[in-house]
Amino acid sequence: MSRAATSSSTSSGLGRALVAVYGVFALAATARSLVQLLTKADEAPLAYALSAVAALVYVAATLGLAEVGPDPRRLAWAAVVFELVGVLTVGTLTVLDPELFPDATVWSAYGAGYGWLPLVLPFAGIAWLWHTRARD
Amino acid sequence: MDGPLPLALVVASLLFAAVVLVYVVLDRTPDWGLLGFAAVIEVATLVLIVVAAVQVGGADLSGPALVTFFGYLVAGLVLLPMGFAWSLAERSRGATAVLLIAGLAQAFIVVRALAVWRS
Repeated sequence: MSRAATSSSTSSGLGRALVAVYGVFALAATARSLVQLLTKADEAPLAYALSAVAALVYVAATLGLAEVGPDPRRLAWAAVVFELVGVLTVGTLTVLDPELFPDATVWSAYGAGYGWLPLVLPFAGIAWLWHTRARD
Repeated sequence: MDGPLPLALVVASLLFAAVVLVYVVLDRTPDWGLLGFAAVIEVATLVLIVVAAVQVGGADLSGPALVTFFGYLVAGLVLLPMGFAWSLAERSRGATAVLLIAGLAQAFIVVRALAVWRS
């Protein structure tokens, strides 16, 4: 009799605090994005579109890690990997060419405006998903 | 938003976060004292919204700034209840630490709202 590999919960223990941090970012990014799109969408379309994408990624990561939905682990993995690629790409682009985005996004300069948390979070998310992965 | 209330709220939120940190270190689960502390912060936030709504006529805020400002304050109103709901569903250090994050975020939100108000 071989036992099926089971993963441990991503929303338990330390994961609960991680979900809370992601939740704050999801709330903040969504609200900020809505304000930008509703009040001044034409000022910096690229930056604001990017803000909206970042908001969606944080919402997806929060839901995935909180184990909401049919396949939360897959959702969480997709979100945190996208988040890592996003913050590294946007961070590098904005450092090389600060004029690229007229208005700051959460990922500008690797999230320096948010205490570097946007850079730290995806690593924490990936580490946590790896830590709670299915093991025999 | 003028007067000592916003600053008092920031200090109270940071103090709340500090108290939660002690709870996390000692591995104590949240109790009624902590809930009462959060309730005081919650009431203060509500008073702040009312004060801001009364004073906003005299402030020189543009449309987007106004939306941002009240957005922050409304977020400040829902943050702690959401934090408690998420935290109290489990008894663990990590779950208690959720309240620490909520307290820090609460302080940050009031600081941001103040910055928008004074801009």
